[in-house]
Amino acid sequence: MTSLCFYFQVHQPFRIRQYQYDEIGINHFYEDYSKNFEILNKVADKCYLPANKKMLELIKRYDGKFKISYSISGVALEQFEQYRPEVIESFRQLVDTGCVEILSETYYHSLSILYSKQEFKRQVQLHTEKVKQLFGVTPTTFRNTELIFSNEIAQCISEMGFKGMLCEGVDRFLLDRTPNHVYESPGVGEFKLLLKNYRLSDDIAFRFSNREWKDYPLTAEKFANWVHGHAGEAECINLFMDYETFGEHQWRETGIFDFLDSLPEHVLNHPDFNFKMPAELLDSIPSVDIYDVPYTTSWADEERDLSAWNENKMQKYSLHKIYSLEKAVKKTKSNELMEIWSKLTTSDHFYYMSTKFWSDGDVHKYFSPFESPYDAHIYFLNVLKDFEETVMNYKKQEVQKNIPGILSGGRQRKTRQYATFAIKSIK
Amino acid sequence: MSKLKVLTLGWEFPPLYAGGLGPACYGLTNALSRYVDNTIILPRSDQNFKVKNVNIIGLNHLVSAKRNIRQDKVDSINKDEINWENELFTSYPLDVPQHHFTQLINSEKSKNMSMEERLHIFSEKDIYGANIMKKVAAYTDIVCELAENIEFDIIHAHDWITYSAAVQLKRRTLRPLVVHVHSLETDRVHTQSRNAVYEIERVGMLYADRVLPVSKFTKQCIINHYGIAEEKICPVYNGYDADFNLRSRRKHQTAKKEKKVLFLGRITAQKGPEYLIETAQKLFTKMDNVKVCIAGTGDMKPHLEYLVEKNNLKNKIVFTGFLNKAGVKKLLSKTDAYIMPSVSEPFGLSAVEAAQYDIPCVISKQSGAAEVLPNTLQADYWDTDRMANYLFASLNYRSLSETLTEKTHVNIKDINWDAAANCVLDNYKHLLN
Repeated sequence: MTSLCFYFQVHQPFRIRQYQYDEIGINHFYEDYSKNFEILNKVADKCYLPANKKMLELIKRYDGKFKISYSISGVALEQFEQYRPEVIESFRQLVDTGCVEILSETYYHSLSILYSKQEFKRQVQLHTEKVKQLFGVTPTTFRNTELIFSNEIAQCISEMGFKGMLCEGVDRFLLDRTPNHVYESPGVGEFKLLLKNYRLSDDIAFRFSNREWKDYPLTAEKFANWVHGHAGEAECINLFMDYETFGEHQWRETGIFDFLDSLPEHVLNHPDFNFKMPAELLDSIPSVDIYDVPYTTSWADEERDLSAWNENKMQKYSLHKIYSLEKAVKKTKSNELMEIWSKLTTSDHFYYMSTKFWSDGDVHKYFSPFESPYDAHIYFLNVLKDFEETVMNYKKQEVQKNIPGILSGGRQRKTRQYATFAIKSIK
Repeated sequence: MSKLKVLTLGWEFPPLYAGGLGPACYGLTNALSRYVDNTIILPRSDQNFKVKNVNIIGLNHLVSAKRNIRQDKVDSINKDEINWENELFTSYPLDVPQHHFTQLINSEKSKNMSMEERLHIFSEKDIYGANIMKKVAAYTDIVCELAENIEFDIIHAHDWITYSAAVQLKRRTLRPLVVHVHSLETDRVHTQSRNAVYEIERVGMLYADRVLPVSKFTKQCIINHYGIAEEKICPVYNGYDADFNLRSRRKHQTAKKEKKVLFLGRITAQKGPEYLIETAQKLFTKMDNVKVCIAGTGDMKPHLEYLVEKNNLKNKIVFTGFLNKAGVKKLLSKTDAYIMPSVSEPFGLSAVEAAQYDIPCVISKQSGAAEVLPNTLQADYWDTDRMANYLFASLNYRSLSETLTEKTHVNIKDINWDAAANCVLDNYKHLLN
């Protein structure tokens, strides 16, 4: 029996705005509300709502035989709550069918596991609570930001009590083996790994609408045939991708929804194939071998390493700087500062600073709200400069028992100034 | 096939040059000399300056040789096409004082000059000057005369001063004409300028079989302001012989407290110096330890000095005046950020020059340099908020400036004359087939 395992990543960061150098020390609001609002609405209408509707329809049509899984970042959930609560509702309906698993991840979709284990655990905990609160379930399978993975990370996640985790099937560590089995990490018993089959996943996520591709157009029948080609030699075929593939990266006009609609039928035509959720795979399939990954991998770019976030000096410095503030922020015990700082740990900020393909322009550019990686870096550092000052001043002010919430304080102070000015002019 | 023979018409050529035209013309001619036989006719040349495989003819030397050239055999410049009484006249070069304007307009005809006089005009040291139009007319006549004894397959003319001669030659010989555009009157004066120089440029480009601007930006200007057919315009980026040994010299400077921002170029409206003052003013509101250095000279210098005085910026903005090569080098090695807020800049070699010193560059989007240096900070020339933000960041964030300069270092390697020569050759071959 071979199981197809669908996992979709749902994530939208809190993007920062073009925070100018002359606002440092004056204005403490960093978020690009209008852009976040606009993008969330766009993606909700093009992808989340129609795709969820389709998934629900499929689950009902196949009476529990079609199963999928999601990991939805905490920052995405927060934005759904703020701007489009009906998206939360549609996910809830999906979870209620029992055919949808919600995976665990960091609330802020951060790289924290690489910089601060303590912060990482806090963010995972936050996410678990959020999922429990919204969907009434507790995740048991872990999925790290952008499938970032290594032996060490596996060790850490297993210690946190998860049954297993998802990761990229990287050729240089698979060494001629296929990703279509359940594996385990060296020295971590009982803890299993599901590896992404990047060829089949990318056929849908990236190549689906590519007219230069020799297999264009990709029909559900053709795809099911490729999958069936693995009959007898694979226990699981893991198709992991961005959920935005449906309707956003691949527009509705490309026929992606029709593809999705007829895929289960063609896959289930073969008696040896079914759909399973990650937790079911981890429970039912034993590990066949050790997947030894001494270096950190991810699902990003050709390199499948950390270079999308941590390659050039701008990225390295920004990451170093933001995590170096952790102690000082936590010391303030201010929830407000803590939240702002955490939002700044979201991996997307560093992704925008990538210069890898800057001149050619490609996926990095497509996702970035900024004109260039340099803009991304400048605005991030401008924000960080102001934030750092705020954190440092917070201590002093606490001693002086001055203004309680510095961040709202910024706004208050400003209004107060205007108020005084108004009174003066009335006089 | 025998070696291609090119007749190049140039104006500035080392060691005698006033601006960017001279080095560019030399760089290209020199790189081309490997592939073609080249004859270049210049108003003035230095006989001690030789380029391999290039026959350099300077009109100033014809005077001393007292060559006997028959008079009035050639028409004066293509007066049929040029509307001399065209609207408002603006000066060229820009430093020409007001009272020379009329002289400029009236001096274009060389008909009533003897050939002796025509040649004599090039014994003047200044290759531009107030009688520039007279020089252009004389150059046209003499070039046409000289060309009768020169064998060539193709004509390559550099900038408007040679276009009139080039057009005449094309008409007489029916050889294909390539015009090279290093800068346009619409860059130098104002996008709306429609003067005699503009007309010469337009006619030159109309007659040309190929127009080679130095950037895509200039190509767009030619399409927008001159209405030239897009198909025959092919941008050829200038080259530059970067000296990377200069990098290390700057490294030692990082520890110093006061930061230096540099503007280097002619102080003319084209270079956007007013936007520089505005940007600097904004920057000063956030930074104390910074000085802006304005190197160069030009017709807007007094106005700038007035602005600086008026806004009380005298101890923050300094003028160095005109600097020679050594002076520029010294200044560059002390600079922390380079700014080029040009309103319309065909190429902007000085940005490349600064970049080779590992200086982060803030340059206007309205420049050719922005195309060849993608790893620079770019803003619209009028967007002084953005430019101030970029300067602040380049001066304060080392992670930024180091990434910028590292990436630019790679880009500069691609800016070379051989690439430019190859592109020009392709155009030659295309025309001759």
